[in-house]
Amino acid sequence: MSESSLMVSNLNVAYGESKVLFDVSFEVAPKQIVCCVGRNGAGKTTLLKSVAGFLKPLSGEVTAGGDNLLGRRPYDVARMGIKYVPQDKKVFSDLTVRENLELGSYATKDYNWDTVFEFFPKLKILLDRKAGFLSGGERQMLMIGRATLGKPRVMLIDEPTEGLAPSIVTHLKQVFGELSKSAALVIVEQNLPLVCSIAHKVYAMRDGRIAAELQGGALKPVDCEPYL
Amino acid sequence: MDSQLLLSGFIFGLSMASVYFLMSIGLSLCFGLMRIISLDQLLYYAVGAYLTYTVSTASGNVWLGVLAGVAISGTLALLVERFVFRRIYERELTFSMITSFGILIGGVGVIKAIWGVVPRPVRMPTSDLINVLGTEVPLYRLLVVAIAGLVYLGIWVFLNKTIIGKAIRAGIEDVEHVEGLGINVSRLFTITFVIAGAMSGLAGGLHAPLIMVDPNMGLEVLAFVFMVVIIGGLGSIKGTLISSLIVGQVVSIGSLIYAPLAMMAPFAIMLLILLVKPTGLYGSTMVKK
Amino acid sequence: MVNAIKWWWGILLAFGLLAAGRLFLPLPFINEVLIFSIYTIGCSFLLGRVGFISFGQPAYLAFGAYGTAFYLFYFGTNPYLAILAGVACGFIGACIVGPLFVRLRSDYFALVNLALAVIVFYMMQKVLAEYTKGDNGLWFLTNIASTPILNIGKSSDFFIFATLVAIGVWALYKYLDDTLFGACCLATKINEAKFQFLGYSNFKVRLIAFVIANTTTALAGSLYAVYLGSVSPEVTAAARTADPVVVTILGGVGTLFGPLVGTIAYTALRDVLSKFIGNWELFVGFILVFIMLAGEKGLWGSAAPWLERLFSRGKSADSKAEGQR
Repeated sequence: MSESSLMVSNLNVAYGESKVLFDVSFEVAPKQIVCCVGRNGAGKTTLLKSVAGFLKPLSGEVTAGGDNLLGRRPYDVARMGIKYVPQDKKVFSDLTVRENLELGSYATKDYNWDTVFEFFPKLKILLDRKAGFLSGGERQMLMIGRATLGKPRVMLIDEPTEGLAPSIVTHLKQVFGELSKSAALVIVEQNLPLVCSIAHKVYAMRDGRIAAELQGGALKPVDCEPYL
Repeated sequence: MDSQLLLSGFIFGLSMASVYFLMSIGLSLCFGLMRIISLDQLLYYAVGAYLTYTVSTASGNVWLGVLAGVAISGTLALLVERFVFRRIYERELTFSMITSFGILIGGVGVIKAIWGVVPRPVRMPTSDLINVLGTEVPLYRLLVVAIAGLVYLGIWVFLNKTIIGKAIRAGIEDVEHVEGLGINVSRLFTITFVIAGAMSGLAGGLHAPLIMVDPNMGLEVLAFVFMVVIIGGLGSIKGTLISSLIVGQVVSIGSLIYAPLAMMAPFAIMLLILLVKPTGLYGSTMVKK
Repeated sequence: MVNAIKWWWGILLAFGLLAAGRLFLPLPFINEVLIFSIYTIGCSFLLGRVGFISFGQPAYLAFGAYGTAFYLFYFGTNPYLAILAGVACGFIGACIVGPLFVRLRSDYFALVNLALAVIVFYMMQKVLAEYTKGDNGLWFLTNIASTPILNIGKSSDFFIFATLVAIGVWALYKYLDDTLFGACCLATKINEAKFQFLGYSNFKVRLIAFVIANTTTALAGSLYAVYLGSVSPEVTAAARTADPVVVTILGGVGTLFGPLVGTIAYTALRDVLSKFIGNWELFVGFILVFIMLAGEKGLWGSAAPWLERLFSRGKSADSKAEGQR
């Protein structure tokens, strides 16, 4: 029985006095693409942030390949190969694309950008542009490309296709397929058609709980909707 | 007005700007990266000045004293960061303000205990006068300006050409994101804090020969430093440079025209700027934690 | 009637105890405590309820003190009118700077107030030295006329007067706490945006709180002036900005009696320590750091919940203790 890349058990998280996640459990196998769907406010981002170490859970367990993640600083979690790509396409606007990548390399000690350019050739042209002047799609490419440095074993990606043109979405779909050959992906998404076409497993979240766990493959958006 | 007087007033203003700048950089960086107000920087300023006094009177060499001041201030900053600030980074701004204020007055008490309350003089390393455009100007003041200029260059190179500097700039934008990449931000915080402390120590050491060293010197210069920081906007290096130049000149030329003006003018300017832009010239509208 | 007693008993007990202290504690100590605690409650209210710390309270203290001093030195001899003059000065001063100051972020607010205090100090010491007699200060003890019933020129009568004023001030702040206004203050502190979305004005609430708090501070300044019979720029020196802040934290921020407890502790500490150690200030600084690191509740802030539980254990139906965090 192969060890899961990521296992979350009975996670409870609160912001101050208000509880937002209730007994959330899910599992991600190696090289699996798991998608998390749900309405705004269902707790999807909170879930990713808690796994990445940005929020301290009230109780529960989070392990990756047998290593415990709970209680670690976010940079520790990242160093263990679990990379978090936040939503809102935030890059360091004052730094150039090159410098953004340099920071990624500095963190992971991986100075080989070949795979990054394989996935996103456009970045090579944009190397000396200040990240603040990139378009939404270009920023997302930078964020994901940078996160691939260091060959992570798990990538937690929050709403990557939000606000992006269909052509870029298709490109990302390809990239995710390639990435999952070496890493497990946990993708939070609102784009149901995309989810259904790439996910091996889908978790539907509602009001801070896992409402359903659905198998990928022949999934259709209508199948997810009752659980949102 | 006499052009000679104006020129020496201008140089005086530049040297004041240099001292303010060295102190404000530290405050600005600490706020920008760590979202804390580090009032204890005023303590490192005083410590730098006092060490300069002690070492220069003992060894006869003022520059050695300044070096000692910088070293000890930096070390002190390191200890304070490790034992106090590391526990309070997550808290809101007023928390760090009050705590650092406690460190400041506690530290002033220690200074009083060690050195007493009597103001001490520090010899100027050189009393030479240099002829600039027909006016005799103290060489030392020019040296102070030159050193501050070198420090500014050094900081610029550090922030723009080294990877740690870039990480700090990135952190000023979004520290969580930097941490998410896998970079040890605790270490970044420590480095930044020690740099700030060392520069405040340098400011104190350089300023010492120009004034009498006394325990309350940190508190006396506090208002000016903060006027510089508020006018320039917390978190902006460029803003700090510009506002220290402005305040330095206003204080200097102002005192030539009408002495009380030297005090009130920066305050009036600060109020005017805040009326229009409540976060200072280049300050960022930070969302209150 | 029962409700009135319930409302008043805390305040009356506190000041009753303090008044009883008159029997075995030196009068200057008690008078100082009364005035200083009024000085502090404004600061505590601003920090605890509105969320702003000010490093410039000496400025408003000076408005009140010098307002009173000018009156007694140049205009008249009635100490009550003098106090009124001082309070009016403070009120006007707060109304002038308030609209600008309260718009600022919390750190700018603290520092702008500090700058104000430095400016006021400088003005009193040098710029207006012609009127304020600079460092020598204004002396008017002999100017204070005897007043009927209570001759507040005399320390022992002043004590009674100050106690009554303090009770009045505490009643005001307790009343504020209990009203919608008190809740509004807390709301602007906790969540500005939400408060705005509810239709309230953060600015108006903060401005009113600012004016009330600093007028109270000016009142303390006026009381100081009458009590000491003289006023000098020392009262607003940069080194003195720490006092109300330290006392606020020491006593416990935002609690009603925190300022009183903090003042007693601080004044006692100062009087005792300064006999033995020249620079007791270093203790003050480190105590402040210690309290902040240890949970920032302060003396009364830590004691009050414990006392509350002690009393509510007697009331069987009370589940107050359980509901707390």
